Amino acid sequence: MNGMRQGWLVARREILERSRSKAFRSGIVIMLVVVIAAIVVPAMIKAGPVSRDVGFTGTTPATLADTVIDQGKAVDVTVRPHYYGGVAAGEKALRGHDVAVLVVDAHRLTWLGKPDERLRAIVTGAIQLVTVQQRAAAAGIDPGQLHAVMAPVPVESKELGLVAGRSPDNEAAATVMSMLLFMAIILYGNLVLTGVAEEKSSRVVEVLLARMPARNLLAGKVAGIGLLGFGQFAVTALAALVAALAVDSVDIPAVSGGVLAWVVAWFVLGYAMYAMAYGALGSLASRTEDASSVAGPVSYVLVAAYWAAYMAVASNPDSAGSKLVSLFPVTAPFAMPGRIALGAAAWWEPVIATALTVAAIAGLAVLAGRVYTGAILHTGPTLKLREAWSATTRPGPRAAEPPARRTGTPMRTPRALTAKMTTTAKANLAMSPRTTAEVIVGAGIGAAVGLVTGEVFLGLLAASAFIAGITLIVKTWTSHGKST
Amino acid sequence: MWMLGFDGVTKRFGSLTALDGCTFAARPGRLTGFLGPNGAGKTTAMRAVFGLVELDAGTIRWRGMPVSAAERARFGYMPEERGLYPRMRVRDQLVYLGQLCGRGAKDTGRSVDGWLERLGLADRAADRLDALSHGNQQRVQLIAALVGDPVLLVLDEPFAGLDPIAMDAMGALLSEVAAGGVTVLFSSHQLDLVQDLCQDVVIIEHGRIVLAGELAELRAKVPQRSVEIRYRGPAPDWSQLPSVTVVAATDGQARLRAGRDTDLAAMLATVQDRADIVSFAYQPPTLSELFREAVAA
Repeated sequence: MNGMRQGWLVARREILERSRSKAFRSGIVIMLVVVIAAIVVPAMIKAGPVSRDVGFTGTTPATLADTVIDQGKAVDVTVRPHYYGGVAAGEKALRGHDVAVLVVDAHRLTWLGKPDERLRAIVTGAIQLVTVQQRAAAAGIDPGQLHAVMAPVPVESKELGLVAGRSPDNEAAATVMSMLLFMAIILYGNLVLTGVAEEKSSRVVEVLLARMPARNLLAGKVAGIGLLGFGQFAVTALAALVAALAVDSVDIPAVSGGVLAWVVAWFVLGYAMYAMAYGALGSLASRTEDASSVAGPVSYVLVAAYWAAYMAVASNPDSAGSKLVSLFPVTAPFAMPGRIALGAAAWWEPVIATALTVAAIAGLAVLAGRVYTGAILHTGPTLKLREAWSATTRPGPRAAEPPARRTGTPMRTPRALTAKMTTTAKANLAMSPRTTAEVIVGAGIGAAVGLVTGEVFLGLLAASAFIAGITLIVKTWTSHGKST
Repeated sequence: MWMLGFDGVTKRFGSLTALDGCTFAARPGRLTGFLGPNGAGKTTAMRAVFGLVELDAGTIRWRGMPVSAAERARFGYMPEERGLYPRMRVRDQLVYLGQLCGRGAKDTGRSVDGWLERLGLADRAADRLDALSHGNQQRVQLIAALVGDPVLLVLDEPFAGLDPIAMDAMGALLSEVAAGGVTVLFSSHQLDLVQDLCQDVVIIEHGRIVLAGELAELRAKVPQRSVEIRYRGPAPDWSQLPSVTVVAATDGQARLRAGRDTDLAAMLATVQDRADIVSFAYQPPTLSELFREAVAA
C-alpha cells in the first residue's frame, strides 16, 4: 500500500469529519458574517450622510444657497437647501431632523447639538465667499478681476510612508498579510495539536499505526487540516472581495498576483513547519487537556518569531536584520511575504529562503516523526521531550560496536582492539562524499548569507548552522533506517 | 507450514527486558492461544508484529521472510487498549480503516455492511460510535480488525469484559475465521476457554517463551496424569500404590497424581478393596495445570 494513498486517506478523513462538525460550520458562518459586516457596515455609515439638508432664514444673499451647493459638491456632499419664514419655523425643522443646520441672516449657524465640522466648513466657506463678493461689488471691483484674485492655489498632498519608495498601501498590505499568516498558523497548528492528542487519548492511534507508518499519519493530518484551513481562508477572502466590490466604497489593496502567489506559498511553508512541531508535541500529552501546555514552547517561538520579523521588516525592510529574518526558516514565513509585498526582496531571496525552509521542514519531519513514534503509544503522565526522543533509540547490537567515534585519546587496549580502533578512526577522518557535499553546500549558503547581509559573522553562523543541522538529520535518518 | 514466526525477538525498555529471545510460530487455519501472567510481555510481542515497537534483536517473519509494510497492511489487530474515533460514524469509520489496508472503497463498504449485518449492528451504521453501548463498541472494534480481510489476526485479550454469551459468540467467530485459512493469535487469561478453543498455545513468562506447541501434544507429553475418584465407603489405602501421590483427599473424594504408565487396573482394585467406586477420571493435566507449572518453573 503506498504511502501517498494512505496520507491522502488520512487527509480526506480530516477534511470530511471536521467540515461535518457543527463547531466548524458555525465557525465559518460567524467568520463570514464578521468579515462581511466589517466591510459593509462602515461603507453604509460612510454612504449614508453624503447628502445634507441646510435651512436658511432671515436675510439671505441670493447667491448663498447656490454657493453652499457648489462648495458641497467640491467635497462630494450633496446639499439640499430649504427656506423658512422665521427663526421659529427653522428651529422647528432643525428639531424635527428635517435640516442638519439652520443659517440665520447669513451669519449665525444653529445646530441641534454638536456642529458637524465638515458641514460647518462648507457653509462658512460659502458665507465668506458670498460676503467677499458682495463687499467687492460694493467697492466697485470688477467681478472678473475678483475671480482672478480669488483663484485657488493648488495644494498637493503626499503620503510619505515609513520607507522611501513605497506607498503606505503596500505597507498596510504587507502587515495585514503577515498578520493573517500568523493567525492562520496559530489556528490550524493548534487543530493539529489537539487532533494528535485526541487520537492518542482515544487510543485509536494504535489501530491506525498498525496499518501505516507514523509519518504517513502525521503528514496526512497536517495536509488535511492545512487544506481545510486554506479553503476556509479562501472562502473568507472571496466573501470579503465580493462584499467590497458590492458596496463599491472600500479600496481593494493593490496586491499583484505574484505577491499573492508568494503569500500562498509562505502560508503552506510556515504552516507545514509549525504544524509538524505542534503534531510532535501533541503526541507527548496523554490527555487533550494537557496538549496546549505541552505545546507552549512552539507557541512561544511562534509569537517571538512573528514579532522579531514584524519589528525588523516594519522598521526597515532593506536592513541586514530584515534580510536575515526573511532567510532564517523560523522567522521567514512572517518576514519574507512582507518584504516581497514591499518590493524589498530581490528575485532570488525568496527562492533561497524557500529552499532553506523546505530543508528545515524535511529535518523537522524526521525529528517530529521520531518524537511522535516514541511518545504516541505511551500512556500515563505527560512525557518529556527527551523521554520520547530516547524511547525510540535502541542500544541493542549497535552498542556493542567499538566506541571509536567518541574516543579522542588513545587508551591502553589489547593490540587487536587498538588496531581495529585505528582503522575505524582513519575511516572517520577521511571525509565521505556526503560530508564533502554537505560542507560545500554549507559554505555556499554561508557565503550567500554573508554577501546578502554584508556581515561575515552572520555568514559563518548560517554555514555552521546548516552543516550541524544536516549532519544531525542524516545521523538520525541513517540510524533509523539501519535497524528497521 | 508456519506463517507467523518469531525468531529470537528481543526488546528492552531501559533496564527492563520485555522480550528476551522469543522464538515461536503460529500456523494458518488454527487458533493459537498466547498466555502468560500480567507483565510477561504479551502486549509487547503483539505490538512488535505491527512494528509498533522497534526490536533490539531478532526478526518477525511472515512466510519465512521479514514482515514488510505491505504485508502488515493485510494483518488485522485488536489492541488491548480499545479505541476508535468516538465521534465518527460507525460505518464511515470502518470503511476508512478498511481503505487504509489498501482495499477499495466499494469493496470495503460491502465487507463492512456484511460484518455489521452479521454482528447485528446494521441499524447502527450511521450512528456515532460513542452513541453505542460498551458491548456494541467492542463488536465494532472486532470488525475494525477484520475489515481489511486479514491473513493474520492478532487480538490482545479479545474476551476481556465480555459476558458468557458474547464470549461464546466471539469464540465461534474466531474459530470460523481460522477455519477460513487465517492465522489467529490471541492472548487471554481464561485458560479453560483457551483449552476448549485453541489447537496451539504459547506461554510467555518474563519475556521468555517457556512452553509452545500443539496443545494436545503438550498435554500428552507431560509424564503425570491427574486422577479423580469418587467412592462410597471407607477411604482406600493409597500407600499400597507406589507411583501415586495424593493431591487432596476428603471423605468420599480424592485427587491424585499418577505416572503416565500407572497400572489402572491395580489402582481400581485397590479402591474396590474397601469401597465402591462412584466415578473415576484419569486424564492428562489441564492447560491450567500446564500453565501453572510452566510459569512457576
